[in-house]
Amino acid sequence: MHLSSLNPASPEAASILDLWNVTMWICGSIMTIVTVALLYIVFRFRARSAAEPAQVAGNKRLEIAWTVVPLLLVLLLFVLSIRTTGAVFDHAQQIPDIIVTGHQWWWEIYYPAANAYAANEVHIPVGRDILVGVEAADVIHDFWTPQLGPKVDAIPGRRNLTWIRADQADTYRGFCAEFCGNQHAWMQFRVVAQDAGAYNGWVARQAQPAAPVSGKDDAALGSVLFRRRTCVNCHNISGYSSQQQYAPDLTHVASRKMLAGERLENTPKNLRDWLHDPNSIKPGCAMPNLKLSDEDLTQLTAYLETLK
Amino acid sequence: MRRFNTVKLATAFFLASEAVFFTFLIAQFVFFRANVHGTQYGTTPLNPPRTLIFTICLLASSGTIWIAERRLEAAQPAGFRFWMMVTIALGAVFIAGQAWEYAGLLSKLVTPERDLFGASFFTLTGFHGFHVICGLIALSVVLMMAFKRDLGAREIAGVGAVSMYWHFVDVVWIVIFSLVYLSVWI
Amino acid sequence: MAPAQEATRWLSWIGTVDHKRIGILYMLTTLFFFCLGGLEALLMRIQLSWPGNGFLGPQAYNQVFTMHGTTMIFLVVVPLLLGLANYLVPLMIGARDMALPRLNAFSYWVFLFGGILLYLSFMSGFAPDAGWFSYPPLSDRGFSTQHGVDYWALALLGIGVGTIGTAINLIVTILNLRAPGLTIRRLPLFVWMTLINSLLIIFAIPALNSALVMLLMDRQLNSHFFTNLGGGSPVLWQHFFWSFGHPEVYIMVLPAFGIISEVIPVFSRKPIFGYAFVAASTVAIGILSLGVWAHHMFAVGLGKPWDFAFGASSLLIAVPTGVKVFNWIATMWGGSLRFTTSMLFAIAFLFSFTIGGLSGVTFAAWPLDLQTTDTYYVVAHMHYVLFGGTLFAVMAGLYYWFPKISGRLLSESLGRLNLALLFIGFHMTFFIQHFLGLDGMPRRVYTYPDLPGWKWMNLTSTIGAFIMGLSFLVLFWNVIVSRRSGKIAGDNPWDAWTLEWATSSPPPEHNFDAVPPVHGPRPLWDLAHPAGERA
Repeated sequence: MHLSSLNPASPEAASILDLWNVTMWICGSIMTIVTVALLYIVFRFRARSAAEPAQVAGNKRLEIAWTVVPLLLVLLLFVLSIRTTGAVFDHAQQIPDIIVTGHQWWWEIYYPAANAYAANEVHIPVGRDILVGVEAADVIHDFWTPQLGPKVDAIPGRRNLTWIRADQADTYRGFCAEFCGNQHAWMQFRVVAQDAGAYNGWVARQAQPAAPVSGKDDAALGSVLFRRRTCVNCHNISGYSSQQQYAPDLTHVASRKMLAGERLENTPKNLRDWLHDPNSIKPGCAMPNLKLSDEDLTQLTAYLETLK
Repeated sequence: MRRFNTVKLATAFFLASEAVFFTFLIAQFVFFRANVHGTQYGTTPLNPPRTLIFTICLLASSGTIWIAERRLEAAQPAGFRFWMMVTIALGAVFIAGQAWEYAGLLSKLVTPERDLFGASFFTLTGFHGFHVICGLIALSVVLMMAFKRDLGAREIAGVGAVSMYWHFVDVVWIVIFSLVYLSVWI
Repeated sequence: MAPAQEATRWLSWIGTVDHKRIGILYMLTTLFFFCLGGLEALLMRIQLSWPGNGFLGPQAYNQVFTMHGTTMIFLVVVPLLLGLANYLVPLMIGARDMALPRLNAFSYWVFLFGGILLYLSFMSGFAPDAGWFSYPPLSDRGFSTQHGVDYWALALLGIGVGTIGTAINLIVTILNLRAPGLTIRRLPLFVWMTLINSLLIIFAIPALNSALVMLLMDRQLNSHFFTNLGGGSPVLWQHFFWSFGHPEVYIMVLPAFGIISEVIPVFSRKPIFGYAFVAASTVAIGILSLGVWAHHMFAVGLGKPWDFAFGASSLLIAVPTGVKVFNWIATMWGGSLRFTTSMLFAIAFLFSFTIGGLSGVTFAAWPLDLQTTDTYYVVAHMHYVLFGGTLFAVMAGLYYWFPKISGRLLSESLGRLNLALLFIGFHMTFFIQHFLGLDGMPRRVYTYPDLPGWKWMNLTSTIGAFIMGLSFLVLFWNVIVSRRSGKIAGDNPWDAWTLEWATSSPPPEHNFDAVPPVHGPRPLWDLAHPAGERA
């Protein structure tokens, strides 16, 4: 257990942690005082005789004191919160580096500078503040990477902005944090922070159209099936189809670590199982069961595996 | 210790809760106005001058119910019954005017479905109209009671409560009329 | 008794306008809904016991958690507190009944029918499943195509009417029917809190009603209040809903504060420490609670002015809530404490509610909220204040007033068992959820990934939930057994001081043969100490 929010990998998340620590000290102290007082009272003042204790009805000075002190404490927290807001949000840039759109139940990732689409796996360069534009295509979602920055709602009709940053090259978990229907639980994503070279290479590759397939092997037959079996109506494969982002972009699907919002590891077997019956793996998801035959499955899987 | 009249006090708090309800509906209308720039229609589909006349009827009915109450206090049951009937008539005229307005709007295909103006307008004026109708029913019940027998001290408090409700309905209409009609007219 | 008379006796409960009977009807009804809501909770916890569990699929789970929240809030906590107030307030002010007995009965039946309507949704094939706060666009017909949300909205409208009716009744009763000498400044604190509570209801429920009406119009008449495509806004729903929703949580907690303020002084044998401060801080909470709603929307991106303003008001409201805890502790200080089950629950409340209140402060420091909102940390916080807070206070009140209502004392030994199981089960279930939330587990998920620690933490939480279930079985057993053969209570088994103890247990239908003279906040204490202090 490593308590993601308390294990920041970015200055933004770290600022929040600093505020958390101060708040915990204050709250912890108050809780300790209350607990110790209760324990003491329970032992010291238990009824020992039927005699009535002194009927003390109050003490104005004491009550004012224990009103003023908490007031000062919350004032401190208010000031610290303003400072933390500045540390987390105040950067000059307004144009996002990445635009993330929440769909039921996957994340569309768009890199405007490279005109590249991805799905569910965000790559960022290490050690740089990244401005993420967060939007929603259908209902309200929420983009949250506990170790990298604060969460922000994805609301249809508006664009919210949040800063994330990773100072270590690693993979960080992300969750949808606003109930969005049946598969809210499996609308997870990951943020992969890479060194500049690796990152640039990845973005360049994502911007490339899909490598064409030729011949008569399973992959080539699968590419034909992709069109004929209506996959093309929802899924975009750049260079092969041109579809809006109704469903996760598949141009480089084989390059991803996971499938279906972190539900499955991206292996040929899992991909085949998914194609066979998506709703048995992610009940309620929007992809129908296309009743693919074994042969169809083999060919389609082979094709998708070429999309690196 | 009975400091206040129970029925009137209860009515006052009931009206407070209704005021909150209308405030939120009005807030929604104001939000809509703030967010939708310009009007979709070449000219407003509403008819403020005609509605003003019906508004005056409704406001007059507040005056007539006030007169009715004074007659009741002065132990003049015939006068009370007369002015109650006038109040009900004026209220009914107002509702008729609203129905006329609604028919006109619906014939121009301004509906709750079409746009936010339709939705906000019908919700706000619809709930107000519903409250007027409930008020008319209450007034009619009081009137029927007054025909059966002369109203005594206990009933006077009840009449006072109905009258409070009626004034409230009027005040709400003044706000609605100003926001919805005057803002497109002036 | 002859069969006809027996039948009439049961039927008389249906036609009753007596506040005591209506109060009991409320309490029994909310008990029934509590069992339903509790079952829903156990179903959820079973599903979450380990990752990838297939006990409940997402569609079923979403209905269960929506019904759990809606049931507990609208059909258990609020009506239970109002039912308790219904029973106690006229007695505590020396009145014969509530000011408007028929409105009282009407309010109960409308509430009951609203609750039945909500549960009829299961029979329609689809209970509401968009969460207890039903955010559009998810709750709009485009994304919730079944009728569950319609049942939800209509049921809440009905229940809301009943709640407003009771609130009006309580306000008028408290203002108008007090015994001679019982000035506002001598009101028992439970009555005082009920008064402020009722005023909050007058404000909050109509706000919800306006939002529900608009949601129903969006769903049924195809309007676009909450859809940005038509010029509306999903965020508008949130503003309206939380304008109701935040005062609602104070509606659920203020009467609990009132119960604690009655129980602790009696079992400490001293008056409440700082009556004026406790009363004034309640008024402050009432007023402030109208201005904190957007702290549920920090993640919406409303902008700095909103976040700063609502962060400030939310931090501020912690103060009047917190000082009450100090007042209650100071009441116990220097007292002569009697550890009845009721008192033990009150102490359990003090400990648990303080944790919940402090975790609330961590949200008010809004950058922290941006990590913890919509996670299991929130689930922990809300259960600490509503369960560790309100429910423990209700238990204290139950053990305190059961003798008055039924004429017999609840068993103390069963009571201690009840308390022990409940205390252990409660903390086991919910304390660990703070850590789950901090570690990244979002709320309202039907399952979760197999991350380190998540499985054993969730399993622990589930076991705690079952221990709580067990504790309630003990409670029910206690009530059944004590009703039949508990010790006879007499008028005033606790040697308490407020007017409800100046009549028999249970009270006669007219409540009092003679109301004692009132010259201070503790009339019976004054009677027993003729030369003592007068308030």
